[in-house]
Amino acid sequence: MKSCKDVSYQLSTGDLAHTSLVERIGVWLHLAMCRNCRAFSRQLGAMARAARGAASATEAEPRESFEREIVERLRQR
Amino acid sequence: MGFSATEADDLSQEVFVTFLETLDRFEGRSSVSTWLFGILHHKVQERRRVVVRDQRADPIDEIFEASFDAHGSWTKPPIAADRLAASRQVSAALAECLDGLPDQQRAVFHFREVEGLSTAEVGELVGCTTNHVGVLFHRARTRLRGCLEGKGWGASR
Ligand SMILES: [Zn+2]
Repeated sequence: MKSCKDVSYQLSTGDLAHTSLVERIGVWLHLAMCRNCRAFSRQLGAMARAARGAASATEAEPRESFEREIVERLRQR
Repeated sequence: MGFSATEADDLSQEVFVTFLETLDRFEGRSSVSTWLFGILHHKVQERRRVVVRDQRADPIDEIFEASFDAHGSWTKPPIAADRLAASRQVSAALAECLDGLPDQQRAVFHFREVEGLSTAEVGELVGCTTNHVGVLFHRARTRLRGCLEGKGWGASR
């Protein structure tokens, strides 16, 4: 039986998709029974959404002249 | 220890910049190639120290360990935070917390969560094994969770 520590570590490394089916079933079974790890899993999801929110708020498409300016600057070196 | 192609590019760029910066001190004492090789050697040593520093134990690992008792159960259970997560404040708080991460961990977190790259793709970009990408991702998220909690994330629940 997996502990909360095992499960949260496996979720946190983001590598669950590459582990064996047995490993994944172990994590799912634990999550089905453990409120705390489900909360942890939702926190990870919430951080991902917050990160995407932060990124979309700050990253606009570069203006049209951007590429040309870069090329121009490289030429001058 | 080998370097990825990106790192090799970075290194040659650094060598070139240092060469230009130190040209005044060159004074024709040795051949240009010896001079350049000396700088390259120095840069490689510097880079190795950075890589080694990043791969050894990170103090955040102890904080993770301390979140569990001897049986591996949570000592301080996480708080379900989905209701708060959608808010703009959380995004702003997260952006601040991201600034406090070590460079490699911030890069891994960004590539995985924002760009949606796979562990293998991030490994290529950052120049480490897929296994280590997982470790860095875990450390980044543990740090971010702690930082967000410090800013009162989920405190109202
Ligand atoms: Zn659990």
